[in-house]
Amino acid sequence: MANSLRISHVGLRGVVGRGLTASHVLQFASAFGSFLPTDGPVVVGRDPRSSGAMIEQGVLAGLMACGHECVRLGIVSTPVIQHAIRRMNAAGGISIGASHNAAEWNALKFLGRGGSYLSTAEAGELLDIYHLQKFDYAPWNGLGSLRDEAGALDTYLDELAEVYDFDRIRHFRAVVDCCNGTSSLVLRRLNQRFGLGLVLINARLDGKAFAHEPATNARTVAQQLAPLVAPIGADGGFVFDADSDRIGAATELGEPISEEMILPLLADHVLPTSRGKLVITNLSTTSLADEVASRHGGRVIRAPVGRQAAMDALAAYDPGQVAIAGEGNGGIMLAQFRFVYDGIAAMLGILTFMAERRDRLSSIIASYPRYSMFKEQVPVRSKRIPALLAGLEDRYSDGVATVTDGLRIDWPGRWFHVRVSQTEPVVRVICEQRGEEPRELFDDLMGRVRSIA
Amino acid sequence: MRRVHDLKIGVSGIRGVIGEFLTPALVCDFAQAFGTYVGGGPVVVGRDTRPSGPMMQHAVCCGLLAAGCEVIDVGVLPTPTIQVFTASTGAGGGIAITASHNPAQYNALKFFNHEGVFFNQYERSELIDIYHQSDFRQAGNAGIQGIRCDPETPVLRHFERVLACVDTDAIRQRRFRVALDGVNGAGSLVSVDFLSRRLQCDLRAMWVDPSQPFPREAEPKPEVLGELAGLVRREQCDIGFAQDPDGDRLAVCDETGRVLDNDDVLALVVDAVLARTPGDAVVNLTTSASIEEIASRRGRKVYRTPVGEANVVDKMLAVGAAIGGEGSNGGIIVPAVHYCRDSYAGMAFILDRLAATGVKLSELAAHLPRYFRRSGKSMFEHGRLGPLMQQLEQAFPGAAPDRTDGLKLSWRGKWIHLRASNTEPLVRFTAEAGSEQEVEQLFGRVKELVG
Repeated sequence: MANSLRISHVGLRGVVGRGLTASHVLQFASAFGSFLPTDGPVVVGRDPRSSGAMIEQGVLAGLMACGHECVRLGIVSTPVIQHAIRRMNAAGGISIGASHNAAEWNALKFLGRGGSYLSTAEAGELLDIYHLQKFDYAPWNGLGSLRDEAGALDTYLDELAEVYDFDRIRHFRAVVDCCNGTSSLVLRRLNQRFGLGLVLINARLDGKAFAHEPATNARTVAQQLAPLVAPIGADGGFVFDADSDRIGAATELGEPISEEMILPLLADHVLPTSRGKLVITNLSTTSLADEVASRHGGRVIRAPVGRQAAMDALAAYDPGQVAIAGEGNGGIMLAQFRFVYDGIAAMLGILTFMAERRDRLSSIIASYPRYSMFKEQVPVRSKRIPALLAGLEDRYSDGVATVTDGLRIDWPGRWFHVRVSQTEPVVRVICEQRGEEPRELFDDLMGRVRSIA
Repeated sequence: MRRVHDLKIGVSGIRGVIGEFLTPALVCDFAQAFGTYVGGGPVVVGRDTRPSGPMMQHAVCCGLLAAGCEVIDVGVLPTPTIQVFTASTGAGGGIAITASHNPAQYNALKFFNHEGVFFNQYERSELIDIYHQSDFRQAGNAGIQGIRCDPETPVLRHFERVLACVDTDAIRQRRFRVALDGVNGAGSLVSVDFLSRRLQCDLRAMWVDPSQPFPREAEPKPEVLGELAGLVRREQCDIGFAQDPDGDRLAVCDETGRVLDNDDVLALVVDAVLARTPGDAVVNLTTSASIEEIASRRGRKVYRTPVGEANVVDKMLAVGAAIGGEGSNGGIIVPAVHYCRDSYAGMAFILDRLAATGVKLSELAAHLPRYFRRSGKSMFEHGRLGPLMQQLEQAFPGAAPDRTDGLKLSWRGKWIHLRASNTEPLVRFTAEAGSEQEVEQLFGRVKELVG
């Protein structure tokens, strides 16, 4: 199977048993154990995939062999791991989980001090250690120990409670599709401790099969979640991926909300009261974000697509300057939560926004100007990519070109972005226009792409 | 050439110094090879108390889970307890994480088949081939099982089997005062339970804290058991026992504070077992001739095998023996309990014999056939063992030669044995005779030849 293992700056990801094996896990955990300083423990958590049990054992062995004290959180969401790293002043951590990928996948996400993802430079160093296969194993009397920590979830909820006033959102009834992932643990406890009215579906943790692909796009929302919202009279619907770092949503009428809308919606919520005015997103995300930001005196910074580029963009600014960061896939980082991708914090933000506006979710969404977007992907031979991009730049030379990630051309009120996927041999073509669908531009563009690719 | 090997991967499995040599990646690969060999069934995993145990255990579990095995984690337990449980629980096999009597910086994996018995040489070479080919069973997400913990049942099963072999009531009634040196090993806690609760001995235990380091050399040789002897004398105990870190080897101290040599301990247990059970005995070539005398007193036979637990067990299975062991290393194998070295079976049978005869241990030992032994070792050099064996045979023309494991030359009432170690780059040689003077003379001539 093509691309069933991927080792890159964002970590290690693959289909367990076919691409991703125990050997890879041990080697990578040993590399990370060699990379991290030994002052402070290393926090380890995982999503419910069955293969997580195997990977967790390998990760612990590698870290302990390098002399690290390990703190095991068990099955928890990635944000819980990230906050625990910061609170414990840990040296770093590993989140085991393939978030939005299907059940047979798994991945290691490497987290540094403070709980943030590694920078490109740090990730590069980790990769070098991994490839060199020279690990700093501790002597027999200097190995690390293991401690189980069960309280991380509640401390995380305490932090959510400091930012959000649950009294204001307790009256909402929302349906949440947990997709058999870690969000069910967090949300059940939220209901218990703070009396929220979240109705959970697909809430049983399942390591073997998810009720559906754990994605957070509008297509997934439409499958099971959206049809349920109106019949049970809920104020909205939400879906999370397996490790709860991304969110998708539906209105109270049962309409799926485009994943592109989540960032503008939350930017609209946080910008008025935020000290920082920057919105960091990627080149493929809707221009509605710019329009919303400018209403509140904010400004959008666009980075190349991918978590790594987002991390580097964040690192380039003083955290006080930034209000929110995120992508058009439902991955959102809020300043109040120290820029951790957190679907559940995003959901609480949307509910709070609804309470502030005293309005229905469908009306809030309808209040924004219409933007229409087309997305498509085309297989391409890697060798042809430079010619493809040069050809497009030439063809659309009347627009403003950005070449930091493939090619983006901007005209007033419309743009397109053609970039090469980091995970598959395809180019992704995205085209957006304020108002009407950019059918003519998109067709022309696709014709060009197909003819050159 | 490097003569001291800090890592050894071979037919006896994988063993080495923790750190640069025995890495978690190697351990995980080996466990996955084992999981592949047993075909993905449940595997029992336990360990001794050395500090690298938890790290090693995570690596082993990772490899087994990756091969699609369910892991039954029994935690810190003696190796014989793990073996008995593996045999009785329907598992596909078992792994004990222990370097047995080796120092604390070492660790190793011991592999057992579904009968809880050490892999024989054919099974071992198949396993090492799978390891070298890296052609592992790779379970996908749907095929990956979990880890089940069961620290209690194995101890119950093991002790039940041991106690069924002896007159437990008679032992209990005597209220023996027993000293125990647990070397802070895997046996520490369960040995206290075994002696003080199950056998109702008046126990004086030392070094039974599994969280503490080994307080003495891990191998229970007489010269490192001074503290135990002191405890026996101070507390006026009837007997003292010492174990190695994984509870398979046993050393015994009599009520006067004298630590018996391993061959005498084995001889006592052989006598005790044959007193209760029909069948013959199997011992290795380096074990004392006293075993033949004891067996013949009861009309039984003794079979001899090359050195190594697996060799002894293979022969015991083949002849249906009642007892087996190796005088050279304190290994006692009682098949009525299980085909494994078991210090608990050894303790039970010696106490059983004391209860049945009503005499003191020093008196029982005094009635053993009296032989004297000397052992030595020399660095192994490639190409030297063959010529040495030939020289030895020429130097002692009247003896009966046995070449099944190095060279053993026997006469009436005396023997010498020269062989290469299975685990270290050493040549080992032993001489035995009926008098001290005679053994000194024999040993001197061998030593002169070996150099």
